[in-house]
Amino acid sequence: MASYTFRFDVVQQYFGFLVSGAEITIAVTAAALSTGSVVGLVVALARMSKRRSLQLPAVAYVEVFRNTPALIQLMWFYYCLPIIAGVNLSAAIAATLALAMNGSAYVAEIIRGGIQGVDRGQIEAARTLGLTHAQTMRKVVLPQALRRMIPPFVNESVSLIKFSSLVSVLGVADLTYQAQVVSTTTFRPIEVFSFIAVVYFVLCTALSWFARRLELRLAVSD
Amino acid sequence: MSSGAVSAVPAGGSPLATAPAVMVRIEKLSKSFGTLPVLTDIDITVHQGEVVVLIGASGSGKTTLLRCVNGLETPTRGRLWVDGEAMGVFDGDGFQPLPEALLNRRRAEMGMVFQRFNLFAHMTARDNITLAPMMVKGLSRTDAESLAERLLAKVGLSDKSGAYPSRLSGGQQQRVAIARALAMSPKLMLFDEPTSALDPELIGEVLDTMKGLAEEGMTMIVVTHEMQFAREVADRILFLHQGTILEEGSPQEIFSAPREERTRAFLSRVR
Repeated sequence: MASYTFRFDVVQQYFGFLVSGAEITIAVTAAALSTGSVVGLVVALARMSKRRSLQLPAVAYVEVFRNTPALIQLMWFYYCLPIIAGVNLSAAIAATLALAMNGSAYVAEIIRGGIQGVDRGQIEAARTLGLTHAQTMRKVVLPQALRRMIPPFVNESVSLIKFSSLVSVLGVADLTYQAQVVSTTTFRPIEVFSFIAVVYFVLCTALSWFARRLELRLAVSD
Repeated sequence: MSSGAVSAVPAGGSPLATAPAVMVRIEKLSKSFGTLPVLTDIDITVHQGEVVVLIGASGSGKTTLLRCVNGLETPTRGRLWVDGEAMGVFDGDGFQPLPEALLNRRRAEMGMVFQRFNLFAHMTARDNITLAPMMVKGLSRTDAESLAERLLAKVGLSDKSGAYPSRLSGGQQQRVAIARALAMSPKLMLFDEPTSALDPELIGEVLDTMKGLAEEGMTMIVVTHEMQFAREVADRILFLHQGTILEEGSPQEIFSAPREERTRAFLSRVR
């Protein structure tokens, strides 16, 4: 170790190759996050419904995805789902879908927490003024709930960026996968993996920074 | 306002004038939470322009009674009318809630002021006031805003129109909440311990606003522990004990010569 010479020029040499991996990482995360948010909203609404026939499946969905390893979920979507459903999914689609479903379980809980965290008195005040349930949700509950949801939603986005590295296991050419390729080609794991750790770090902190600015801008009223 | 008012003829009523309309009629109203009875066989009639103050120890059912009047709670049994219109579907002895659209329409005609103000935290004072007139009554923004400015002036807060609730003192928040309720031109105002969450030095400004409303002839049902206010403003005082009206009368009757031992005991504790 003492005589190790760092060769960060290998990073420079394969820079374009690694950047293409980073692009896949961003694309997979963005697709999973947007799909997961829509599904999460639906699950949250079902979970908050008064009908048990909607509530119970939603609870089961959330618990299954939160209490099994993400890696197993990925493998299940890639290897098992095609056999059961008789469809052929590319590794990229299966991996993104699994990440989206995983994220949606957390997003559902974030949405539920945000909405249920709004003080009951706010709802009562709106209802006593004659606002309908829908008007109360739209004008009073959701604007306040959305603001509460930002910090946990950012946390979830950050963890989805990090979880996206799992897709490399299925052969999706994301940042981690490309790094493995470069590392085995050049025998320079220290330089390559340290470099991509920095890339992940920059992606995650940039997202958090952006979210904090958004939060501050919305917080003028509190 | 407090002189000589009895339940049948409220303040200012002379025997020759036509009796004022009944604003709230409550008959044999009961409410239980599960197996726990909170209100038992309540009968109350409130006339137009009358100020009725509910007093009693905490847990006596005052707040629940007020919440039944505008449908925040559904009574278990009995009947309830506001301005001649039924507030529930009465099947025999039972009480079923009104269909939502109908309940919303009835609620829009009465104002409620809460102990903890409940101003919409993400809206300025002005937007708190304009929301319901615009959403429920279909007022234009211009009309709603000039209404808001007028009401803010009325409660003495013209300069706070653009302020968010978190920037207002408790007393100011409660006055905005009163203005918000008034923006719907209610026939009846319900006050649920409007000063209980306030620092002592802020209570006066809220009570003064309420006194002004009473003088304008607003029909009011007020739950409060402010005995001085009850004495000065109430036409009639109801003393609740364990979910029943134990005693009722003019402030003079209740404060100077309470008939019931429990009323005496309660008054000696709060004074």
